[in-house]
Amino acid sequence: MSEPQFSSALAGVKPRNGLAITISEVSDIGMIDVRGDAKDKTFRTAFAKVTGCDLPAMPRTSVAGGDTHVLWLSVDQWLVLVPRKRVKDVVSALRSALRETHSLAIDLSDARTIIRLEGESVREILMKGAPVDLTLAEYGVGSVRRLRLGDVAALVHIHALAPDTIDLYVFRSYARFAWDWLEATAGEAARVRLFTGQPAPPTV
Amino acid sequence: MAGKPYRLGTGNGNLIDRSKPLGFTFDGKQMSGFAGDTLASAVMANGHKVFGRSFKYHRPRGVIGLGSEEMNALVGVGEGACHEPNLRATQVELHDGLVAVSQNRWPNLDFDVGIVNNALSRFFPSGFYYKTFKWPQRFWKDVYEPFIRRAAGLGKAPTGPDPARYEQIHVHCDVLVVGAGVAGLAAASAATASGLRVILADENPRFGGLADISGGTIDGKPQRDWVAARCGELAAAGNVHILARTTVAGHYHHNYVMLFERLGDHDPAAVVEDAPRHRLWKVRAGQVILASGAIERPIAFANNDRPGIMLASAVRGMVERYGVAPGLMGVVFACNDDAYQTALRLKAAGVGVARVVDIRANPEGPLAAEARAAGIDVTPASAIAAIIDTHGGKSIEAVKIAPYSPGRGRVVNESRIDCDFIAVSGGWNPAVHLWCHNGGKLKFDEGLQAFRPDRHTDQMRIAGAANGTFDLAGCLDEGYNAGEAAARDVKGKAGRKMKRAKAEQAAQGEGQSIWFSPATGKYNEGNKHFLDFQNDVTAADVELAQREGYESVEHTKRYTTLGMATDQGKTSNINGLGIISDASGKPIPAVGTTTFRPPYTPISFGSIAGTHARHLFLPVRRTAIHDWHAAHGGDFEPVGQWHRPYCYRSASEDRHDAVNREILIVREAVGLLDASTLGKIEIKGPDAAAFLDRIYTNTFSTLKVGRARYGLMMNELGFLMDDGVTVRLAEDHFLMHTTSGGADRVGAWLEEWLQTEWFDYKVFVTPVTEQWSQFAIAGPKARDVLEKLGCSFGFSKEEFPFMSMQEGTVGDYPVRAYRISFSGELSFELATPANFGLGLWEALLAAGEEFGMKAYGTEALHVLRAEKGFIVIGDETDGTVTPFDVGMGGLVSKKKKDFIGKRSLEQSFLKAPGRKQLVGLLTDDPKFVLPDGAHAVADLKPKPPMKTIGHVTSTYWSPTLKRSIAMAMIENGQALLGQTLSFPLESGVVRAKVVEPVFYDKAGERQNV
Repeated sequence: MSEPQFSSALAGVKPRNGLAITISEVSDIGMIDVRGDAKDKTFRTAFAKVTGCDLPAMPRTSVAGGDTHVLWLSVDQWLVLVPRKRVKDVVSALRSALRETHSLAIDLSDARTIIRLEGESVREILMKGAPVDLTLAEYGVGSVRRLRLGDVAALVHIHALAPDTIDLYVFRSYARFAWDWLEATAGEAARVRLFTGQPAPPTV
Repeated sequence: MAGKPYRLGTGNGNLIDRSKPLGFTFDGKQMSGFAGDTLASAVMANGHKVFGRSFKYHRPRGVIGLGSEEMNALVGVGEGACHEPNLRATQVELHDGLVAVSQNRWPNLDFDVGIVNNALSRFFPSGFYYKTFKWPQRFWKDVYEPFIRRAAGLGKAPTGPDPARYEQIHVHCDVLVVGAGVAGLAAASAATASGLRVILADENPRFGGLADISGGTIDGKPQRDWVAARCGELAAAGNVHILARTTVAGHYHHNYVMLFERLGDHDPAAVVEDAPRHRLWKVRAGQVILASGAIERPIAFANNDRPGIMLASAVRGMVERYGVAPGLMGVVFACNDDAYQTALRLKAAGVGVARVVDIRANPEGPLAAEARAAGIDVTPASAIAAIIDTHGGKSIEAVKIAPYSPGRGRVVNESRIDCDFIAVSGGWNPAVHLWCHNGGKLKFDEGLQAFRPDRHTDQMRIAGAANGTFDLAGCLDEGYNAGEAAARDVKGKAGRKMKRAKAEQAAQGEGQSIWFSPATGKYNEGNKHFLDFQNDVTAADVELAQREGYESVEHTKRYTTLGMATDQGKTSNINGLGIISDASGKPIPAVGTTTFRPPYTPISFGSIAGTHARHLFLPVRRTAIHDWHAAHGGDFEPVGQWHRPYCYRSASEDRHDAVNREILIVREAVGLLDASTLGKIEIKGPDAAAFLDRIYTNTFSTLKVGRARYGLMMNELGFLMDDGVTVRLAEDHFLMHTTSGGADRVGAWLEEWLQTEWFDYKVFVTPVTEQWSQFAIAGPKARDVLEKLGCSFGFSKEEFPFMSMQEGTVGDYPVRAYRISFSGELSFELATPANFGLGLWEALLAAGEEFGMKAYGTEALHVLRAEKGFIVIGDETDGTVTPFDVGMGGLVSKKKKDFIGKRSLEQSFLKAPGRKQLVGLLTDDPKFVLPDGAHAVADLKPKPPMKTIGHVTSTYWSPTLKRSIAMAMIENGQALLGQTLSFPLESGVVRAKVVEPVFYDKAGERQNV
């Protein structure tokens, strides 16, 4: 048996010239959706043992360990990020470890597309499509926020600051639309930088 | 420009750059101006006074104001698709190559046919439309409305789709300061010094408000120096965002504020291809400080709309900023000291000032004294009684003035003063619009004779002229105070205390209000006292409304259209209230004000649409196979937000041919369908089976692991809402399929029941639609394709029976395989992770080539299912249809204790005879395909009304049966089997026989092989 042909949602799509930020698809990260009861100690322990990460208990946070990230999605739902090649093993391990606990672990690696945004004005571009104040200090490294971006359900995961590296997650079927939206709003000529000093305005 | 009398010498025109001439056209005439000019100043500098014709009477009109208060000089700018109508010439910044046109004139500005309305004006009183166009009724459609349509409206629409880009942005800040005049800059400085996040926005291209034309010094220097220093500091600070050319257009609940930024209008060359032209800012502000200034009001005297009659501040600004004089000899019509600054500025510029006409008996303030000392002639206790105009009202040559005292009636003795322009000041109104958008209260200030802010329930403060404070020291102080108070509110403790700058300014004496300046001659004979220039509403109109009983100011507004034009009554409001007050005998506070509504000035539709245009108008969902579909003739149709191929057309086919070909391929060989859009939800937990038993009408707890069952879903009312096949993956684990359009709705529906009603159930629900690409391989040769490609599981009838599932690989691809059929043929559905979707799709087609396999689209899918009599939720059902109505009562469990909708099915009317039931229809003429939605009638009559007894829900040409087929919901349909019904259509009556809805392979032998 040969390798199956792998085609990510934005395979072959290149960003247009003249963008104020770098945008690129990240297709080597696998995603496992885990449901469970955060108050259930058995669940927490088994989860941590398999992933090497504690469950992030606070909303809009994530926990990182080794090549694994765990993103808080809701009170009983988390997204586990591992290298795509490890997904199968991690899902099996989770299912096996959580066998006796009310839980659900599903490989959803292909359900979402990750678009990595890098540059100084990433947050302002996201704020063109979402009524969220991403300039707040609470949006530091590791923070996670679900939002509605330009009419599309999305999630952002902040990886690094100065310059920002932010992963934007959208459902796969919306990947091309989200990409087009980014190209439309991220142009150099449309750049907005908030609260960073500006040239003095002309006066009367 | 030398030699032109209207452009003054150097020393005037502080904002223009005489070294940078710009060319532009106005009504096709080539003109020139300078960098820094507005369209208004540049056109006036070219000796041109008339900018447009008025709305109703088509009277010639010129510039009145200096900025956004301008209501007369509305122009269209740009050409073709880029044309934008109704822009205020005083706010249009001149750029090289600007193309502007006047509005509301035909055939041209100099000679306008509509001026006949002016001569007939006695026949156009207020409420004219209501009084005239009522009768005869039949005239409305053919005579009145077309006439009004042609006559109404100011500018012209652009001729094509707008090529510009627009966008929006959402921003939060601690303090939003509206207006960058002296008060606003002081407020922003104070808030910034305390470390708050501040947005400072001003509608003008330059910050400073009226600092350059209101006299006085700050810290011993001209106001404008202080302004420039503050702007430099604020721009450099890292906690301020400054926005020029940005109108704060609306204030909404909880300090949600809409800002309209114009990025490219002042210089189209700066707007490269991907730059937005306008940007709408949606700001959530902790605190709002309004420093929106004040608007000078005109005075209602006879023919006060003639070109050359301007607000005193506008005349002063034209001279100071652009070096433009409205004429050679002016008269200043004043009721306050401020207007004397205009007289002095004109004098200093070398423009003649024939007279200051002041209604006050003793104008003795320092400015009045200064004017007299400068040799300016002042006539107190007088008012302008008449205008002597020339050139058909397009300019003036003199005024007549008469003695004036408040309450005095018709003028008896007059004297003439020659002049070619008039500077008018009827006092100042605080710009309280934004204060009032979200419920701020006003109080009437007897001293100002204007409304000023009172209470507000939002975190909003107001400072400076907007608060009715007009002296410089007061503006500064209120600005600092507002900024400091906002800082205290945000931080919960006092912030930094600002060192106060020291302001010095000539004191001003008390002003006096005048709502109506009496005239000679008879009213309504061309002696019009205009209040609302844009809508041509006069003092006489408002008085008439009072006589006719429109006592409420809101009724007067709608009856006369006072304040209803695009300027929203900026200059007319208080004057109108004054007239109502005089006419009704009620004091102005008792008259009240009309409602202030957003936007402050009009904003572009483009900015409202933002990025929602062209390919971003609505989100489009694409399956993993989308690009393949597009490259292979896919003719897409929207299914929810998905775009799915309706069919695949070769160059020689139309849609109909393609659909028929695809159907026959499935029936005779094998077809491949991209069914990825089908909703998929995983449901797991110890109570999952019990949960599904409550969700579906039929039972799922009895389903064996590895088997699949078709289920019907009702809402609480007993009506069908979704259907699909659910597979049992494990004892406690199910995979539910929903309709494509119902996937999100059903997912939310399941969560809602779990979270709000059955929270004791241990069940997790996770939508997985997006994870999978799913394809149907349908047709008698389906097994051949699987065999060719290689399959890790057995797929014979015995190994892989109908309504069961397998997991394994097909070719190189991991799959979940289901033996289900929506076509009635032997059929396998394969689901593979979406990133493998395209690979598996192409592998299947390659393997199937020798068996004649082709892709088929949604229309073939629909015809195939209709041939088999399978329902589609949303076609056969419309939210009022029960399982019994579609002949699926057998799927409604009699054993289960409870499930959603069970109780509702017991309602008498859902069990009553006469309900519409699903039937099949065969037209007498097999070639004729009934239209969708065609109604059957009980008794055929020559013409409607006829009682209808049901309608067609699905109707197709069946290439398999080589005839038309249809499904319909017909009253008591099952009892009518074998009978023929009549469908009266526009083309004639069509007759069709009622049959069972399964047209093909009634025994189901084809799929059971």
